[in-house]
Amino acid sequence: MSVVGSYRFHTGVSAFFEMATSDARAVLPSHLEPIEVRHERSVLSVNAFLFDDSVVGPYTEVMFAVIVPPLVAAWGQHAKAGLYPFLAATTSAEARRIKAERFHFPYHDQNIDAQFIETKDRVRIRIFGSGAPILDLSVTPGAWETTTHLLQGFMMNGTERLRTIMQISGDYTVHENEGGEMTLFPHPITTDLLRQEVSPYPFREHWFKNGTEVFHKLEAF
Amino acid sequence: MSDNKNVEAKAPVHRIEVEGEQAHAPPTIPAAMEYDYTNFYFGAGDDPFALLEPFDDWYSQVEPAGYYLYELPLHTQPSTRVDIQDTKTGELRRGLINFASYNYLGLSYRPEVKKAIQEAAEVFGGGSSGSPILSGTTILHKQFEAEMAAFKGKEATLLFPTGYSANVGTIAGLMRSGDLIVADQFAHASIVDGMILSKAKSRFFRHNRADDLDRKLSGFEGKKLVIVEGVYSMDGDVPPLPELIEVCRKHGARLMIDEAHSAFLFGPTGKGVAEDQGVEDEIDIHLGTFSKSLGGQGGYVVGSHQLVNYLRGFSRSRFFSCALSPVIVAGLRAALEIAQKEPELRTKLWDNVARMQKLLSDRGVPIGDSTSHVIPIMVRDDARIFTIGEQLMREGIFINPVRYPAVGKHKSRFRMSISAAHTSQDLEEGATKIADVLQRFGLCQ
Repeated sequence: MSVVGSYRFHTGVSAFFEMATSDARAVLPSHLEPIEVRHERSVLSVNAFLFDDSVVGPYTEVMFAVIVPPLVAAWGQHAKAGLYPFLAATTSAEARRIKAERFHFPYHDQNIDAQFIETKDRVRIRIFGSGAPILDLSVTPGAWETTTHLLQGFMMNGTERLRTIMQISGDYTVHENEGGEMTLFPHPITTDLLRQEVSPYPFREHWFKNGTEVFHKLEAF
Repeated sequence: MSDNKNVEAKAPVHRIEVEGEQAHAPPTIPAAMEYDYTNFYFGAGDDPFALLEPFDDWYSQVEPAGYYLYELPLHTQPSTRVDIQDTKTGELRRGLINFASYNYLGLSYRPEVKKAIQEAAEVFGGGSSGSPILSGTTILHKQFEAEMAAFKGKEATLLFPTGYSANVGTIAGLMRSGDLIVADQFAHASIVDGMILSKAKSRFFRHNRADDLDRKLSGFEGKKLVIVEGVYSMDGDVPPLPELIEVCRKHGARLMIDEAHSAFLFGPTGKGVAEDQGVEDEIDIHLGTFSKSLGGQGGYVVGSHQLVNYLRGFSRSRFFSCALSPVIVAGLRAALEIAQKEPELRTKLWDNVARMQKLLSDRGVPIGDSTSHVIPIMVRDDARIFTIGEQLMREGIFINPVRYPAVGKHKSRFRMSISAAHTSQDLEEGATKIADVLQRFGLCQ
């Protein structure tokens, strides 16, 4: 499978929140099922990456996704998880244009601003739009290790079903100690999320540092 | 005779031997161990068998790396020392200290229990050979139902073939589409499956948090059932029942408690955690199992005649199953009698729990926040939990490793079960060996 995009990042976080399965199903295409952490509770993944090297230079991206099961065909090149991004926003119009063309991510059409504030015991990400707050997300560390994650990303291009392999490598910590938190503020990006029953505390917190995110070529299925 | 009379009378001689054991090099952890059952839930393609081959390929790699530690066959009764078949090496490991069984009072192998089982087998044969509503109910079942109701101080009892079917049958028998069920987030799978089968709206409140239960019940009009457990089996903690009852009353919700791990152990007369917290009569549905403290099998619901009569007609998991074997029921009757006549067993259990918690704490073993006979030994290392478990088995400890998805990511642990039957030597030796192994892995504080 050929690589079509490689992005080096300084910091990346992925926080998992419980959401109602009915809400998850509402944003998923009909061929994808949400993974449930318990009956009628699915997973909202809130991702924020500070890319320090890409074809468009440094930029920040925030992405909301529903966690879905990877489609397993054979043991070997096996994705650990799958995700369906249903809303994304960036600080770079050029990054947005390229990723929308290549990967069909559904982007908010205005630039955002982002702050990454890292201390020893947490990283706090503040996202703004036109000076107004959109998102305030904190993630805490557990034990650090070096890892490579294989994920399946699912997208739609019109009615065409697409998927890709996403590979994230770097320093990594994950835990379920419920040390993080998230506040969503009223904004066009968060309108739908605020209508949903999303927990303010992530039940799982992923934090990456000094790594690379690689996208493989999309395939229809 | 000691407090521990008869409990360990027939226990095997203490010995740690391994037949033909070879020196084992430290195992390397295969990359496949980064995956788990959750990765094989959905497969590509249209064939229902599509996942069988990739799962089998994965499992062939992870089984020798640790998954073989599940379903290790015992060659002995579940007493405090057991002989285990090591399915990885084929060796028979003898005299392991047993911290894995639910036999909290050591009743499963008491002579009185065995005798009752033998006598019932002579009269009734092996199985009940029928649904409880047709031909499967014997006079032993009726006698035991009455005895259980008297023990719990309730009007009536309904017996189920397992604890699982008791939860599924009770929840789905009572609740309907359009109703609301709110359970603690750590509720057992049988509770969750009952919720699913009922088709009621399901919510979960944060573990033991009355304020979150209040939030989850708010704004719902209609029938509401709240479900908690007496002792949570992965952390060994208990619910704050008075606070939860207050919230239930505020919202007009019924409260059900599953005392699977706590009945016959907690409270002045052993009724359970509800009795221990002084709220026995303020809980609407009491449910539990016989497979743990009574050392047998089966489940039960106790409550009013009306509740039991209704569930008798609507608990599909009961009336579409074969009734409990009369042999098992006979053993349970004997076990219940012992549990009531020998309160010193409970005293011994709680002495053992306090003793083991101190022994482990003194050695720097991280044991979580348990307040019961279920003591989690926190490893928090999903990759090495099986390697550590393997070492513990080789050092003579039989204990269950638990990792994701049974518990959260990086919340791996060994689940230690303490029994009234454990001797001081069992506890001392066990704590020392566990601490030694954890020390080697840098896990003792």
